[in-house]
Amino acid sequence: MNRRVEQVVVVGAAAPAWMAAAALHRSLALAGVRARVIELPTLVQSVDVYSALPALAGFHHRIGLEEQLLFSACQALPVAGQRFSNWSGAAPPFIHGYDRAPPPAAGLGFTHVWIKGRQKGLRTEFENFSLGAMAARANRVPVPTEGADLHSSFGYNIDAGAYSALLRHFATRGGLESKAATIADVEVEADRIAAIILADGERIEADLFVDASGPQAVLIDRMPGAEFESWRKWLPCDRMLVVSGEQLRPYPAFSQISAFRQGWVGLFPLQDRTAIVAAYDSRQISDKEMLDRLPVIAKLPINGDAVVSSLNQGIRKRTWVGNCVAVGESAFSLEPIDAVQLHIAHNCISQLMTLFPVDADAFCEAELYNRIIRRVAINLRDFQAAHYKLNRRFDEPLWDRCRDAAVPETLQRKLDVFAARGRVPLYDDETFQEDGWESLFIGHGLMPQSYDPRVDATPEQEHIAQVQGRLQDIIGLVEAMPSVDDFIARTEHQRQAEAGAVV
Amino acid sequence: MSEPLDIVILGGGTAGWMAAAALVSLIPPTRCRVRLVESEEIGIVGVGEATFPEIKNFNDAIGVNEAEMMRATNGAFKLGIEFVDWGFKGSRYIHPFGVHGPAHMEHIFHHVWLRGLRLGSKSDIDEYSFAAQAARNCRFEFPETRRQTINSAYTYAYHFDANLYCLYLRGLAEQRGVMRTEGKVRDVIQDPESGDIRSLVLESGETISGDLFIDCSGFRSLLLANALGVGWDDWSKWLPCDRAFAVPSERDELSPYTRSTAMEAGWRWRIPLQHRTGNGYVFSSSFIDENEAADSLMRNLETRALGEPRMLKFQTGRRTVGWKKNCVAVGLASGFFEPLESTSIYLIQLAIMQLVPLLPDKSIDPRLRDEFNRLINLQYERIRDFLILHYKLTSRDDAEIWRYCAAMDVPESLTRKIELFRHGAIIERYKDGLFTPTSWLSVFIGQGLIPESYSPIADAMPAEKLICHLDEFRTEIRDRVDEMRRHDRFIDPYCAAKPPVVPVASEALQ
Repeated sequence: MNRRVEQVVVVGAAAPAWMAAAALHRSLALAGVRARVIELPTLVQSVDVYSALPALAGFHHRIGLEEQLLFSACQALPVAGQRFSNWSGAAPPFIHGYDRAPPPAAGLGFTHVWIKGRQKGLRTEFENFSLGAMAARANRVPVPTEGADLHSSFGYNIDAGAYSALLRHFATRGGLESKAATIADVEVEADRIAAIILADGERIEADLFVDASGPQAVLIDRMPGAEFESWRKWLPCDRMLVVSGEQLRPYPAFSQISAFRQGWVGLFPLQDRTAIVAAYDSRQISDKEMLDRLPVIAKLPINGDAVVSSLNQGIRKRTWVGNCVAVGESAFSLEPIDAVQLHIAHNCISQLMTLFPVDADAFCEAELYNRIIRRVAINLRDFQAAHYKLNRRFDEPLWDRCRDAAVPETLQRKLDVFAARGRVPLYDDETFQEDGWESLFIGHGLMPQSYDPRVDATPEQEHIAQVQGRLQDIIGLVEAMPSVDDFIARTEHQRQAEAGAVV
Repeated sequence: MSEPLDIVILGGGTAGWMAAAALVSLIPPTRCRVRLVESEEIGIVGVGEATFPEIKNFNDAIGVNEAEMMRATNGAFKLGIEFVDWGFKGSRYIHPFGVHGPAHMEHIFHHVWLRGLRLGSKSDIDEYSFAAQAARNCRFEFPETRRQTINSAYTYAYHFDANLYCLYLRGLAEQRGVMRTEGKVRDVIQDPESGDIRSLVLESGETISGDLFIDCSGFRSLLLANALGVGWDDWSKWLPCDRAFAVPSERDELSPYTRSTAMEAGWRWRIPLQHRTGNGYVFSSSFIDENEAADSLMRNLETRALGEPRMLKFQTGRRTVGWKKNCVAVGLASGFFEPLESTSIYLIQLAIMQLVPLLPDKSIDPRLRDEFNRLINLQYERIRDFLILHYKLTSRDDAEIWRYCAAMDVPESLTRKIELFRHGAIIERYKDGLFTPTSWLSVFIGQGLIPESYSPIADAMPAEKLICHLDEFRTEIRDRVDEMRRHDRFIDPYCAAKPPVVPVASEALQ
């Protein structure tokens, strides 16, 4: 038997580091793997928000974290989708709702019935047929409904500092060791980290080092062959400004992303405030000017200080080198839209768990991890790049440039096949499934020129009935859902009742 | 509404009639009219008496009644493929149409099993597959529809007479409006500028024009290769078999699986149908001469032969693109794999079911064509690697062919897969591809590649508990399989063919 990995050191801060540590501890502590966290000074500020996809619930379930804690301890609100406004000239906003794709082999998707309907004069927008989008519009929370044909689930907006603290508490309570420190040096021998040297002089060795330090990439950046590859030509914003705004009441069930001349502004509702995030191109607007104009663009009074940082979208050429694995934004980073931030960490950690090295002296898993992470990253990048490519804001330099520039071949194929036939070529390791891409493309105004010919095999009367039936179903399902305010109140009530029962 | 698309299918074998039946069943006459040109003088290959579970989706989609189809084709059920003497002499494993271990442990089960081996458990991985155990015991029932039950995690395919299946689909297609024209093609007329195919001129002088041509002309690939000059990717250096002898024999035990036995220069199939057993020897002419191969086949029959062995020649590979200009190739005209994993009919089905949603208008949108070609190529390459695996992963040194295969260089994509499995029992997943991680697992393990290690996550459970879980699961499968009906008894009330149904002329060649 080969030598097993026994010592794992996670280096980083905030949620991604604790997510990685909790997952490692949960699955591997009993297998004799000791995970420790070297906790770097956090870069998370009190204004910061994590916007998360519904899949995060699955991660919490796996590590044994109760969802309720997000609402009671992290100011979290459930999110049924993201609303995009001002990306397409005079076109109305659209919502990307978190619908759950129907099981495969369900045959012909409803989308094609809708495309034909539009050609025949149907005026109802595509998003009216999305349960998630309609729940979002009505400020309702898509809790599961027994026996329904349509399903949708919710993600979260979470206070970043509180969530990081919650995960830290959760992980350390479970027996995980950690030490707050900064890194003075990394000893790299060939393609392996021999040890990291902390500022206090302590030398830390391990079989495997997990870099969860975010864009700083304190470990992976030292490794050979892990150069950073920028994606800025497709994702043009290089600055980010975060500030708090007033609480929105009643609570909305969606985040809002509004384009403006030099970038976009996102409103992420939380229980106690609204996190406002602006991403913009520094060649077009200065930080100061951005801050000055923000209240007008966000249409919301802002409170307190703003925090400005740089954005640098791209990927490491290799995300696992030797005994150093990057998870989260140390591996690749994107813009803080489409709720991908925590998803990046979540996905990398899941892949690492599946490919957890079997031999401390030969990390053959690295090559596969690199390929998978690259595919995951490229698919997500393409999703974000599509927002820019499909914009219809004319006579504005940033937007004109993005519309005219060539996009990666992987995205171009998706755009082409969708424009031609309303189908989305999906690749390996996609985060968003066909329904997500459809709502993105159609929402941004890319209307398919033709539809699946099988649609014509059904009489139009049946289509009309199908369209009406679906609208009715959605209205019924949405009406039965709790409002966000009710959902939060109920969750809080339940928590108190349980706390009371324990006492 | 514009005029319907005129589709001309050339060739009336399995590919041609599957294409015709699907198009006419799925797409209304307002959108396309389908004509099929075939000649009774040209024999058909009648590929594949053994199928893969995907065929049920195809049949369901076009509205085929399963029991009726099985009665008409002498069909029987299939739960997997047994491989005998592959990997090493005396080995025997089943590639099942269902997972190993409990469904909720799909990703981790084989790691747990590997740890069990280290701990001294002597169990075979087949014993953890419900489908494999049902197959070995000659049992069949439809899978349970409630999920998470032990007998829900499998699917099934059919063994049938491919010629009768073809006839059955022809009946269905003609009844639904496909026009059949008898005749041989004398000439293919192409547009002098675009190069598109405009029409086929038959020997009778009749001209059949169309907007889209589907080339189902078999190995000859009359339209795609001959008229449009599409090239050939030759894969015979990895899959060296280039001939097959086929012969039917009297009915034998109706086992619900295909058997493939590795031989001195290839492998031998056994496919039990209701009325007879299909047998064949797929071999490489570089390693055995034809007479010897025929003798070997006849000598090894388990029941009395019902005819003389008939030979088929082939070459493994594919057309570099399956759709060029206004011509789409389906079936052998687009490529060929030996029937080792029963992929022939699946590849026909795949091409048709990709074409249907991407069906072009009269002026062909290249975006649709490119997407079709991308998907087909992806599937071809993944199937190719999986088939090569059977040949590469052998420690047999009793025959030249096996020594050659064990030593040959294989595509890099396959080398990577083998090395990852050898290293840590890792199986890479993919989205578009017939063979699932279960398929890969069964061949890796069945052919003797025991990984050097397994995921440390499997170490988290205490040893005694792990052994106990493994034992319990095996027992649960065994007990449930014991309650199942025998395959032949299941078939009798459900779909027994009315004898006699076998005109000698339609004996399938394989």
